[in-house]
Amino acid sequence: MTGVNDFHTVVIGGGHNGLAAAVTLATKGKRVCLIERDETLGGMARTVEVAPGVQTSQIAHLLYNLNPTVLKELGIADQIKAQSVALPTVSLSPDGRHVVVDGDKVRYSDGGAHPEARAAAVLIGRLRKFAAILGQLSTKSPPKLEGGITSLATLGELAGLAKLGLNLKRLGKEEMREFLRIALSNIADVLLDELDDGPLPGALAADAVRGAFAGPRSPGTVFSLMYRLGNGGEVRLPKGGMGMLTDVMATAASEAGCDIRTNAPVTRIVVEDDRVRGVELTDGTMLTCRAVLSSAGPLQTMQMAGLANFDVEALRRMRNLRVKGTTARLTLVLSGKPAFKDLPEGLASARILIAPTVGAVERGFNPAKYGDLPTAPTLEMVCPTLSDPALTSEGRHVLSIIIDHVPQEPTGGWTDAARSALTQTAIDRIAAHAPGLPGLVQDSILMTPTDIEALTGAPGGHWHHAEMGLDQILTLRPANGAGHYSLGIRGLQLCGASAHPGGDLTGAPGRNSALHLLKETWA
Amino acid sequence: MGAQDRYDAIIAGAGHNGLTTGCYLAKAGLKVLIVEKNDWIGGAAVSRMLHNGWTYSNCSYVCSLLRREIVRDLELPKYGLQVIPYEGGATFTRDGDYFAYHSDHDALRREIARHSPADVDAYTRFSQTVIRQCRFIRPFLLRNAPDPTSLAPRDLQELLYLVKKTHDLGAREIGETLRFWTVSIGDFLDEHFESDLIKAHLAGSGIIGTGLGVYSPGTAYVLLHHYMGDVDGAIGAWGFARGGMGAISNALGACFNEAGGTIVTGSGVDKFLVEGGKVTGVALENGDTYSAPIVASNMDVKRTFLNHTDAADLPDSFTRAVKRFKIRGSSGKLNIALDALPEFPAAPKGANFLRGDMHCSTSLQELERAYDDWKEGRWSQDPYFDMLIPSQIDPTMAPPGKHMMTVFVQYAPYDLEVDGVRKGENWTDANRKAFADTVFDKIEQCCPDIRSRVVHAEVRTPWDIEREVGLTEGNIFQGELTFDQLLFNRPVPGYANYATPIDGMYLVGSSTHPGGGVMAAPGANAAREILRKAKKGRPMKGYAA
Amino acid sequence: MSTATAVSSTAPNSVPLGLIPTPFLPQLEAVSRAKSWTNWAGYISPLVLDTMEFEYFAIRNQATLFDISPMHKYRISGPEAGPMLERMMTRNVGKIREGRVGYTLWCDEEGMLIDDGTLFRFGPDDYRLCCQEPMFSWLLDAAWGFDVTIEDQSHSVAGLSLQGPTSFSVLKAAGLGAAETLRPFDLAEVEPGLWISRTGFTGDLGYEFWIDWDKAPALWDRLWEPGQTWGLRAIGYEALEIARIEAGFIAAHADFQPVHGAIRLGRGRSPLELGFERLVDFDKGHFNGRRALLAQRRAGLKRRLVRLDIGGFKPAQGALIYHRKRREIGHVTSGIWSPTAKRNIALAELKAPFGGAIKTNLWTEIYLHEEGQWDRRMVPVQIETKPFFQTPRARLTPPAPF
Repeated sequence: MTGVNDFHTVVIGGGHNGLAAAVTLATKGKRVCLIERDETLGGMARTVEVAPGVQTSQIAHLLYNLNPTVLKELGIADQIKAQSVALPTVSLSPDGRHVVVDGDKVRYSDGGAHPEARAAAVLIGRLRKFAAILGQLSTKSPPKLEGGITSLATLGELAGLAKLGLNLKRLGKEEMREFLRIALSNIADVLLDELDDGPLPGALAADAVRGAFAGPRSPGTVFSLMYRLGNGGEVRLPKGGMGMLTDVMATAASEAGCDIRTNAPVTRIVVEDDRVRGVELTDGTMLTCRAVLSSAGPLQTMQMAGLANFDVEALRRMRNLRVKGTTARLTLVLSGKPAFKDLPEGLASARILIAPTVGAVERGFNPAKYGDLPTAPTLEMVCPTLSDPALTSEGRHVLSIIIDHVPQEPTGGWTDAARSALTQTAIDRIAAHAPGLPGLVQDSILMTPTDIEALTGAPGGHWHHAEMGLDQILTLRPANGAGHYSLGIRGLQLCGASAHPGGDLTGAPGRNSALHLLKETWA
Repeated sequence: MGAQDRYDAIIAGAGHNGLTTGCYLAKAGLKVLIVEKNDWIGGAAVSRMLHNGWTYSNCSYVCSLLRREIVRDLELPKYGLQVIPYEGGATFTRDGDYFAYHSDHDALRREIARHSPADVDAYTRFSQTVIRQCRFIRPFLLRNAPDPTSLAPRDLQELLYLVKKTHDLGAREIGETLRFWTVSIGDFLDEHFESDLIKAHLAGSGIIGTGLGVYSPGTAYVLLHHYMGDVDGAIGAWGFARGGMGAISNALGACFNEAGGTIVTGSGVDKFLVEGGKVTGVALENGDTYSAPIVASNMDVKRTFLNHTDAADLPDSFTRAVKRFKIRGSSGKLNIALDALPEFPAAPKGANFLRGDMHCSTSLQELERAYDDWKEGRWSQDPYFDMLIPSQIDPTMAPPGKHMMTVFVQYAPYDLEVDGVRKGENWTDANRKAFADTVFDKIEQCCPDIRSRVVHAEVRTPWDIEREVGLTEGNIFQGELTFDQLLFNRPVPGYANYATPIDGMYLVGSSTHPGGGVMAAPGANAAREILRKAKKGRPMKGYAA
Repeated sequence: MSTATAVSSTAPNSVPLGLIPTPFLPQLEAVSRAKSWTNWAGYISPLVLDTMEFEYFAIRNQATLFDISPMHKYRISGPEAGPMLERMMTRNVGKIREGRVGYTLWCDEEGMLIDDGTLFRFGPDDYRLCCQEPMFSWLLDAAWGFDVTIEDQSHSVAGLSLQGPTSFSVLKAAGLGAAETLRPFDLAEVEPGLWISRTGFTGDLGYEFWIDWDKAPALWDRLWEPGQTWGLRAIGYEALEIARIEAGFIAAHADFQPVHGAIRLGRGRSPLELGFERLVDFDKGHFNGRRALLAQRRAGLKRRLVRLDIGGFKPAQGALIYHRKRREIGHVTSGIWSPTAKRNIALAELKAPFGGAIKTNLWTEIYLHEEGQWDRRMVPVQIETKPFFQTPRARLTPPAPF
């Protein structure tokens, strides 16, 4: 007889990856319980009220990398599409000739033709083409290395790689060579080989490094841009804020029969005889299960399961993960519409970047390396209330900003002074393009990496849960020996952004981990 | 010697790689001419007496990477090459202490423990990883790079060799290897060591010669590139060539002469002559021309094709690829004649680690900041340097009782920024002096009396090195050692096997696989390819042939 | 190696170069006629003090002193010392009671032996690990997340080994008769600051002393004079090495390569391959390398370490082993002529199935250099299951006088 607390799988963490894992398992008929320590689901995908009658996304604010395969399997593709709106990107220029990037089309914001439009289209087109091929890997398990690279055990995965190789071959020799040349390269060189430095390559460089502890000159940043473009890279604003995504997924989970419990922090994952037996909650509840899928960080997951259950080396690799959060989220509540110099009003609702040159983006990264606050950070902002008036009332607006390359913890800590200095730096930087902005600001809410970690549990407040560097992707994600979701104990798997394929709102790690679990004979 | 002489092969540039190719070709029975623009041979491996009685290794200054297979094949010791390992090294702090890298294993352990007990065994783990990676990579140095886009039997064979070698590593080690090749030296050291000083001491090899910082991914590989050599089998050890690095070039030159080769100095190649897509010879700056069906360039890929080849003879896509090949000047050098050994107040008198490489950079952050300066077109305000006094070991370098000091400085840009403009011409005498002063200020951290000991100093910026030696931007590797420019990508995808789009024309310098350093592997590999393709001569039986 | 003296320098920050003394060096130098020293973990350690043969027979006939101060010693203490060690060690550490010493092995994640050593349990949460290889960083790693303190006592605690049939008589004569009640592997603080364990590396009656570095020389002197009545001699490493092989103990760098020190891949050996199944407790919960060892056990061992009785009289150190005189199937890792057993004995590593399913028709090829002439012999070998040297006096409590 199955009791109310007996499950096939317990999923830890109610972020989008936990939800994707839960839905995937539940639709395959498994009894799933999803537990979330906070009172609301969502992790980094939430909508909050920032002022009476004003709502906005709390952390993640734009969709650009949701995996279509995952959406389709979860049966939510149409809903997500219907409840979001595509946005162009504007890269602000100090000289007022802002650049609009819409897909691979580039023009000036005043409607004028951009002299490098063609070169940019070729480059973006090529990156997208490469990204699409790489993106095929994101719904598969990374190649396994056990038994060496020619063993039978890996043939399935090798077939995936072979397909990748075949697709590369189909590109033609020249393009394949180009792929092999740039795949591990740095985005600064790849951009500046084709384009003059300015807001156009600046925008692409900014997209390559946002969320990363890397500047455009760091090798590996071409890969991170391709990862972002893996599903086309179209930027969409979720209606009703990012909580929309969570709501849609949570509904799908409930409909699939998944038991969702919030306010349910974990005391420990119960392990006996090297197998998962259950999860004990802080209120004493014991959930029995044969598998636990954790969307918490790998180290946090190991701590829950008891460090003595892991090999010293495996633990050491997780301790050494590169996971320094580098982005802060600033929300400004405005008394009226923001206006940008030389930007047509219709474009004020676009995704707006301050990334005037590749050099500036690189320079913006420098202070973070030494634990200093940025002085001229790269910014991504959007005014969601322009596209989605239902979010607000009384003519108020919200400017939702991501500040790039913030130290995880500045020297001296996140004091009030440090927080207000960062807020002011961001406002001043925007005010150079929107002189009226400071006068409109009614309130500001800053979330530092430390705040994000405290709220969501994301290790280091890193939005990918682990740096998406070349040394931490595919089979090496999150670390050597743990590339296949499993941490050694039977039934214990990672299902969050620290697992393959990685971060962003994609749903892929959760869905992949669930499918991987189902391949186990005992599951 | 007439202007119409015909040869089987001509090599442009008498650097160590050009000479190596020359030796192998001549030993195979070809009639070979090497033309050199300077009045001396050696390229960046030269010993020159620029001040009364003092010999400088003007550019490269220490030896480890020179492949032992080539040394044996060409019998270089017979021609005077002698390499003496050095005795350790040290990094000096600002407060009068130091970290000594003792060659004595037990003393090294005690010294590490003095700074950080937890780091002692960590050093063993670090060395284990690095030496394992060295052992993995070394067999590839004297082979062609596999080309994954090619289905030609030779390329497949190389690819299979790589697959086999990789497979033999086993699952864990494949993962560790992938990781090692992609991680930064800073992150790699951070996960092994606690002591900033020890990390800083070990990090230098990860950045020397590159336009990368210690936290740039891929710099662990650069460290490997500096460790994969050996002195008499001691992997990772470095030594002095007796008589300076010119001793290597001179030995190669003597070997080449004895094999019947001809060297013409004093005039460089003005143009590679091409007819109907086939190379026919070279025209020198002095108007002489020489003909040969095989022409090899020891110059870097940019200089060869952008300055000395008619663009019409090259496919546009190739020229574009050459233009985007990254050769970045990032290091300068001071060669200093001293009237006596400077004092090192922090060190015990006569300490053996002074007969090794000395540094004054004490943390990874300090090194990273040095890189940040360079990115903006400035020389590092707090630079990294690799400083040695070879005259302590090698009596031929300075008059008795006097000393010669070599200081390799990183970072120094090629295109110095002054008033918002970045260009090589900004390296005026005043700026060169200011650069030297920055370095001397930092040397005073370990040798307070250094300035009073200087008899003569030669300051070499990337701009100087380019003009004298001919290395584009003064880059010591003839091209950055980043993923996009290694193995099958070096120097140009599709042309990693020393051949070029021009029939009969080859590249033999460090722009080609496996890259820079006084390794001579590109030269030997290129010779092998030339002989195979030309089906001429009888290749010697040897280790690298 | 000839005598080496520690080079010290006057500079405040300099570390000594070359070999450094243990606390017993003055005593050792006083009795050293051979002047034959070696480097043991950076310390000056005797290979031979007088004559190797006489030193060996003193181990088996009288009593001997051997300086074991260069051993690495780590204090592991704190509320979670037990769980931390349980996760690190392959054996069940909980079974080592207070006041006892246990022989133990520990592995890396692939189940390959990092080192072996003795674990001394002083109290409920208080241990000392004594081993050949430096282990500080590994212990720190293994202790991460556990409430444990690791202290490196390698240079603060000296060790001295008293071994041989008359060793208890020497103790008694030196006024340390309180050790009479110690059974094998017992540990006791017989006087303040002086710990004695009934342990050793010879397979015979013997004791090991553990004492503060600076108090150590006085301990030697205290044993030396009264010991003369019982034939006490100081010995070097070479004599001990024979006794060690006779007793069937394995040694790092000979019979296995500590995996952390091996540069080449595949040089590690598992406890199962080395014949220590009894010291691997798969039922106690997770320990480092457990999953890999289970997989190895499932797949079957690819090689194993065995004891060999070798034909003839010439030691087989370094010799290759053949099946049917043709197929190379392994090599000798430690080989000597045993003067006590009067047998030609060895430890050897054999590839599977040899030493397991196939135990016959095994041969070894011995190269012999005698007065300028090399000779090659193919001699038959037998696999032995018992140690070559075993004596009831080693276990007798209270011990006999000789």
